[in-house]
Amino acid sequence: MKIEGEHVFKGPRQAVWEMFRDPEVLASAMPGTQSLKKIDDQHYEGMMNVRIGPVSGSFAGQLTVSNENLPESCTLTVDGRGAAGFAKGVGNVHFFENGESTTLMKYDGEVTIGGTLASVGQRMIDSVSKSMIKSAFETLDKALEARLAAKSGNTPIEFKPPTEAEFAKNVAKDMAGGLTNVAEVRMLLYIVPVALLFLIVALIARGCGG
Amino acid sequence: MAGKYFGQPILRNEDAQLLSGKARFIDDIDLPGMLHAAFLRSDFAHARIKKIDYSAALKRSGVVAVYTAEDFGDFWRPGPLQVPPPTAIKGSVFNARTLVPIAKDKVRFSGEPLAVIIAESRYIAEDAFDDIIVEIEPLDAVNDLEKALEPGAPLVHEDLDSNLAADVVQERGNYEEARAKADVVISRKILVNRNAGAALENRGFVVEWEERSRQMTVWATTQAPIPLRNTIAARMGLFENQVRVITPFIGGGFGPKIMTSQADDVLLPWIAMKLKRPIKWIEDRRENFLATTSERDQVHYAEIALTKEGTILGVKDVFYHNTGAYDPYGMTVPLNTQTHTVSNYRVPNFYTQIKMVFTNQMVVTPVRGAGRPQGVFVMERLMDAAARELNMDPAEIRMKNLLIPDEFPLRTGIIGQDFVEGVLDSGNYKKNLEKTMEIVGYEKFRKEIQPKLRAEGKHVGIGIVTFTEGTAVGPYEGARVTIGANGKVNVATGISTQGQGHFTSFAQIVAEQVGIDVKDINVVTGDTAHFHWGAGTFASRGAAVAGSAIHNAAVKVREKIFSLASKIFEEPEENLEVGDGKVWVKSNPSQSMLLGDLALRANPTRGTIEPGVEPGLEATAYYGPPYGATGAGAVAMIVNLDPETMQVKVEHFVIVHDCGTAINPMILEGQVYGGISMGIGNAFYEKMVYDDNGQLLSASFMDYLMPQATDMPAKMELGHLVTTTPLNTLGIKGVGEAGAIPTPAAFVQAVEDALHGQVEIMESNLNPSRIFEYLQKKQ
Amino acid sequence: MDKFPITVNVNGVRYDRAVEPRLLLSDFLRHDLCLTGTHVGCEHGICGACTILFDGEPVRSCLIFAVQANGHDIRTVESLGSTENLHPLQEAFHEKHALQCGFCTPGFLMTLIPFLEKHPKPTEEEIREAIDGNICRCTGYENIIQAVKLASEKMPR
Repeated sequence: MKIEGEHVFKGPRQAVWEMFRDPEVLASAMPGTQSLKKIDDQHYEGMMNVRIGPVSGSFAGQLTVSNENLPESCTLTVDGRGAAGFAKGVGNVHFFENGESTTLMKYDGEVTIGGTLASVGQRMIDSVSKSMIKSAFETLDKALEARLAAKSGNTPIEFKPPTEAEFAKNVAKDMAGGLTNVAEVRMLLYIVPVALLFLIVALIARGCGG
Repeated sequence: MAGKYFGQPILRNEDAQLLSGKARFIDDIDLPGMLHAAFLRSDFAHARIKKIDYSAALKRSGVVAVYTAEDFGDFWRPGPLQVPPPTAIKGSVFNARTLVPIAKDKVRFSGEPLAVIIAESRYIAEDAFDDIIVEIEPLDAVNDLEKALEPGAPLVHEDLDSNLAADVVQERGNYEEARAKADVVISRKILVNRNAGAALENRGFVVEWEERSRQMTVWATTQAPIPLRNTIAARMGLFENQVRVITPFIGGGFGPKIMTSQADDVLLPWIAMKLKRPIKWIEDRRENFLATTSERDQVHYAEIALTKEGTILGVKDVFYHNTGAYDPYGMTVPLNTQTHTVSNYRVPNFYTQIKMVFTNQMVVTPVRGAGRPQGVFVMERLMDAAARELNMDPAEIRMKNLLIPDEFPLRTGIIGQDFVEGVLDSGNYKKNLEKTMEIVGYEKFRKEIQPKLRAEGKHVGIGIVTFTEGTAVGPYEGARVTIGANGKVNVATGISTQGQGHFTSFAQIVAEQVGIDVKDINVVTGDTAHFHWGAGTFASRGAAVAGSAIHNAAVKVREKIFSLASKIFEEPEENLEVGDGKVWVKSNPSQSMLLGDLALRANPTRGTIEPGVEPGLEATAYYGPPYGATGAGAVAMIVNLDPETMQVKVEHFVIVHDCGTAINPMILEGQVYGGISMGIGNAFYEKMVYDDNGQLLSASFMDYLMPQATDMPAKMELGHLVTTTPLNTLGIKGVGEAGAIPTPAAFVQAVEDALHGQVEIMESNLNPSRIFEYLQKKQ
Repeated sequence: MDKFPITVNVNGVRYDRAVEPRLLLSDFLRHDLCLTGTHVGCEHGICGACTILFDGEPVRSCLIFAVQANGHDIRTVESLGSTENLHPLQEAFHEKHALQCGFCTPGFLMTLIPFLEKHPKPTEEEIREAIDGNICRCTGYENIIQAVKLASEKMPR
């Protein structure tokens, strides 16, 4: 399955870059991320605990950075496995100067998933992952705003990352809003797979940041 | 040949138990000291196993044991070839790679067991999944049937040169010569997608080894209790009579419960003997999708040659059949496809080739229809393409080519799943079609209703197809009928029951002979302690084959009644009558005896029985047909397609079916209705989807949709024709799979018609998005 | 895992039990109380075989934990008629051949009991809607619909 998308950050590339180097901010955008360990400049290991609704599980992921052309682009390979299945992904991330002090981030990748992730989660992965990515970018936007404000010495803006529960609720609400079929709403029980997908996106983004 | 009991719509004996929640199903069995099993299954479809470390699992409280392939030592070996391929087909290739009970060294499909955990509860057994570390090296998977045979494709079985599982050519006449003479030749690529049996009850297995009596008791949701017992006994080195297989009530079968070599069947008896405690395993729904067999999935390259008047000169069909990662069930499914492709039409020249392919998917074995829907789909689609090409009405071109009764019995020249050349025994195919057209109002719909509705902007279409159903194949079944001193009857047969109403229909067969009410007849199916010869419930054979054996046994008991009563009353047998639980002298009804009392007399405590007489009012009999009986029918359906949503509503569904004599018309209709709902499911709701890596993407009822009450036709009509088969005394043909066979073909034709023939659809399982895609492609 | 004490009224009988918080209500009824008439078909709330009445409302017992039933009234298929004396709805299922393997049947019955109380004279469309959350793989629903019609005539109101 392919994932691709873009997002405009309201800040210069350098600031966006720095934000992505801050593991705490990233972890807050994806509540449940437990660790991201740097093995060397090219290799990282991450752990993510996903607990949404009645389903929970932890996933261990390895991340490899290649084709580095910092601060513009890089290629990432992610291999994540957990009790609920596995995901392998290769992705490219680009940061572009976008004028008016904004930064355009573009990402595209190919993800393979297996196990319960695939057999029960597949049908909703596409739409839920979009929603989760959207929700996470909203958090990052706020974080960036807070960081820029702090930097410029203006009135500090309070940044409060959402809790895991709030995050899950937002995604669920987002999903349910676009759905008319009751059966698809039931699918929200299977939101977990998507969390892993988002982990990949987060790792992709963070990998470039590191 | 309807009688007082036989042929009557008698209400079912088994209902009260089922309705009140008192019927015992497999998961209701609870034995003292029972342990629970769970299987850790592979997430990868194709991979090499490096190491499985379960030491942490053993430390978990409540876990009793964990086993991987290595732990079974020499006991680990590939399972039996449950159905060997027919040897009679010359030049055929078959590479047997039977199912392994648990993956060793290599994983070949997603869901293949890696470890089995035995614990005090199922909850704990599944908790232990998290404790097991599996080191595995993923390999490229093979899923596309055609690419699988290309050089360089990843090999499912590395000891073979390719992924070819079987190659079988069967032929009658000479297709190439016929083709040369034809006015029109039409070639199409036709796809039939994969479906699940999806019985509401998953599989289950409970086993107890009683050390003191050295007896093993197995409760299983099997369609083949006796073959299961035999294979367990052989594997465990026991006598057959040391193993008793009991099937409790079973929540639907539909084919996949026929297997006798899945992980539970093989491993749990061994573990129960080792641990000396009873073990229970109940499959969950995801496991059922991943690791219980399913069917369909063929790619056909088919061709039909005709005269310009629409007379068929020949058909050629070369098709790829997905057998999954192993082929324990031989070639049953693709052989059924071969025998059903042209069976109802006059096709003098026919060439058919199976290329059976190994893939990294779950094993394929029959699901209700079993290869027949594929054959029918291919032929009916060719007929539709031909009708369009020749500007003929779909009904007209069919009528022109259907076989007529004078042609029966007709040898087909094609060897089928029962290892013998197919013979069409009887039937009236044209009448099936005529009656269907009459009930659905075909002419009126075409000429008046459809034009009017189209003028109103409605997208309505009609589909009309015909089919045959090869049923009631051998080898044999048997039964024992016993009248007890209580005046009631016990009937035991070797097949098992999954909802077909055998407890009633078999009782009706016996009641008719012995004159005892159906309610007083107790039928035992699927208990090897009661009857231990037989093959199982498959290929729509229960009623016709086991039913005939039961009839034969009941006739013998009837003879014994007359013979003994004749001596007691000192009256010739022809002066006696039996009924209402007694036997009496016709000329003097007061001279009578209850059958229970007669049964006592048939089993004397002193004196002797006469030489040549067996004791008791009991008899055992067997029946085996030379070849299967062929049922037939026709289906018409009118659909209404919503051009906004592409939702298709079946407004009117008509089936005319001929399965010979009906034992119980109410049960028969129920079977047909059920088959239709599965057919509609296959056509528009159900689809098992594997991705390129062999991951099953539809392993829950949220993704694998089955028809619900609102999806069924607004109006359903059943018509019956009775052409009795000469193959058994009762004239019965099977019916279990009928509804599922023609429905996808009729549905697709109706959808094409609803779309004014704008698109041609050559695949069996549609859904709204798929129809939308066809229309998009067109534009 | 810690167990929690619960008190549940099932079919008019009070049960005091200690259960793990993760124990499903369906497993509790079937395995702890041995009320095996409630069946589990999919374990994810689609098939409807495990439908029971929870304070009179039909719910999927596979989607509820036993601890959630603490202090509540549960009715299962065992509360309807016995084999010798069927409930009119069960009788109608019998007479119209509305069951084959019978595995899904308890779920249909428990869905229909409150439905027929609320809709004593249902139309065919209402019946189809009412049973749309229950899957039957054997019958094709036709006879079930006929049975509900018959039951609506039989049942006292």
